[in-house]
Amino acid sequence: MTSFRKRTVQKPIRGTRTSPHTAQVITSSGNPYLDVVIGGGLPMGSICLVEEDRFMTHAKVLAKYFLAEGVLSKHEIFLGSLDDIPAEMLRRLPRPLTDLETEVEQREEQAGSGGAENGLRIAWRYNDLPLVNSEHATAKIGHHFNLMEQMDSMMLYYANTTMWDDSHKEPDIVIAEEFSKSSSPSLEQQPTEDAPPIPTLAAEETGAATEEKASAQEEGIAANNNNNINNNNTSSVATNTTSTKTDGSQQEPPQVFHNPRYGGLLNDIQQLLRDESFVAGTKKNLCRVCLTSVGSPLWYDENFGEDLIKFLTLLMASVRNCNSVCLITMPMHLIAKYDASLVPKIRQLVDYAIELESFAGSERETHPAFKEYSGLLHLHKMSALNTLAVHMPDTTDLAFKLRRKKFIIEKFHLPPELQESPKPDNCSAGRLLSSNSNATVSLDF
Amino acid sequence: MATSVLLACGLNEQKLPGFVHISEESNVDGSFLISCILGQRLRISNAGTLIVCLQHHYQHYFNAGMRLGYNTNIFQGKTLGVIDVLSDMAGEGLTSKWLRRPDGQTLTEQLVEDIRVQVESNYSSRNSYTVLIDNLSILFNLGATKLQVQQFCQDLAALAKERDNLTVITKLSNSDIYQLTDNNVAKLGQVRIQVLRLKSGVFREVDGKLLIERVLDEGNYACEETRKEVLYKVNDRNVKVFTPGEIGVKV
Repeated sequence: MTSFRKRTVQKPIRGTRTSPHTAQVITSSGNPYLDVVIGGGLPMGSICLVEEDRFMTHAKVLAKYFLAEGVLSKHEIFLGSLDDIPAEMLRRLPRPLTDLETEVEQREEQAGSGGAENGLRIAWRYNDLPLVNSEHATAKIGHHFNLMEQMDSMMLYYANTTMWDDSHKEPDIVIAEEFSKSSSPSLEQQPTEDAPPIPTLAAEETGAATEEKASAQEEGIAANNNNNINNNNTSSVATNTTSTKTDGSQQEPPQVFHNPRYGGLLNDIQQLLRDESFVAGTKKNLCRVCLTSVGSPLWYDENFGEDLIKFLTLLMASVRNCNSVCLITMPMHLIAKYDASLVPKIRQLVDYAIELESFAGSERETHPAFKEYSGLLHLHKMSALNTLAVHMPDTTDLAFKLRRKKFIIEKFHLPPELQESPKPDNCSAGRLLSSNSNATVSLDF
Repeated sequence: MATSVLLACGLNEQKLPGFVHISEESNVDGSFLISCILGQRLRISNAGTLIVCLQHHYQHYFNAGMRLGYNTNIFQGKTLGVIDVLSDMAGEGLTSKWLRRPDGQTLTEQLVEDIRVQVESNYSSRNSYTVLIDNLSILFNLGATKLQVQQFCQDLAALAKERDNLTVITKLSNSDIYQLTDNNVAKLGQVRIQVLRLKSGVFREVDGKLLIERVLDEGNYACEETRKEVLYKVNDRNVKVFTPGEIGVKV
């Protein structure tokens, strides 16, 4: 007998890898720039909160990246929203780039930022220093996407998706609808039931998504066939959830929330996460939970704050207990107006809190210092989950720009001042950089 | 690994004060303190420890412990007891006993009862016993009132007074929001550790500040107490402590 034992290494879950810094299993958020900021990707069991900008444009883009990455990595997807139509949102996921396209894009980026002809002629030694936009370093996991184009409907068809939009339908009605869907494009029919607000959809269509709308109209009938297939897929999921809901009503679940919507949503998430394939340590599959516009006015009632905090606490317990990651978008500016004390409470219950401060509609939109960017990205929280220390990015002064094809996050830097400004004191950008430090208070160290 | 921070807090001794409270300001993570204390208690032979997981799962403490050089799994079921409220809630969903409130018992009453059962079954066979509660603000999130949380802490403080060598360590996040509860709970004990953020902003070499207040002698008329302020930095495998002024901006 020898003491030799064959080393058996478990295969990692698709679309995940072990972080060399924290030894945690991480997965891509879908956006390679965001991955670099948060230390390679989202750790398993973590919740990432994206605080929406006023027009809800940019947070939705990040949510789409998150979902698209899940589809490509063949993860299970749960998408819940009251403000958006989940099926519509899934249909508009960005198209993944091929390896060749990614390579070409990266080459173009490198050429654009550090080409020989654009290099410095006077202080040429600075050419040897790392680029200011060093966030361009590519992550080893994750894919690149083109926001201009939509994902192939066949890809979506094979994706395991569960959607929640609080549509309380009886099983008979759902089955009846299934038959009726074969004759008409039901994606247009779905929103009429609960009538989610159209303005959000309109806001979503701004920026890079404007062309999506036009292209969707052009595709017309050709796309309808695919949508029907896709809807059959999602409606089958709906039948499952409705059947489980009826089972739950037989057991008379206790009233944990004042607002039954929270209970319904949490119940659906927990039922999905209890699946064998997501048991922690099994390394079979990963579940991506995406909830958009949680805490929007559609969720308001008398006990809004209490219910929301309780919901997030229970969600945190569920997500951390299995192979899953969660991305939530929230209109934090509205929540802060409702009750300012809710903001730190919410941030305490998530692992990453990222605020997107858009320049749209503000005076900064036309300010020459900010003309390159669409807004600022504030990292409010990064917590150490299953480890001791948390990854700290090189800088917390970050800005984002929404280009036609992609969403870029990079270090915020002011443009060089090539001419004398008449009022140097008036530069609000300078003030912005020193906003973290309080001039009146002495340094702590 | 974590000796310096425990030395600074005065928690590196075998016999700890009866009640210790850790207050955590908003947007500051003081979980490392729980991991440091847990490691120190587990290393003492025949010292029992009970951890009540409200903020993180047990798995988090295991992983953080491995980083600090100890393995909680070796001690679990022997000197380490775990009440994993989060895992229970995740596993049982909305029918979990922590949400259902059977027999009209409140969440905090139920928790005190569970802690009492654990203490009574283990205390007699141990030299000392430590109860770690991470963290009280989750009780608020789950619907407990200020009065209930206050009563919960008072029950635990009474438990510590009843028995020698029994220590209760509580942690409360968002102490600036729950200021009243935070002060009241801190008054129950002899040591209060405040985890504060740097007011001057983010600094790469320092994560935050620890303000340690310790009551030395509580006489009839006067109370003698000490205050100490240290800066800390949580690294991958250790926690470093600096005195204010030791670290500066390198130009």
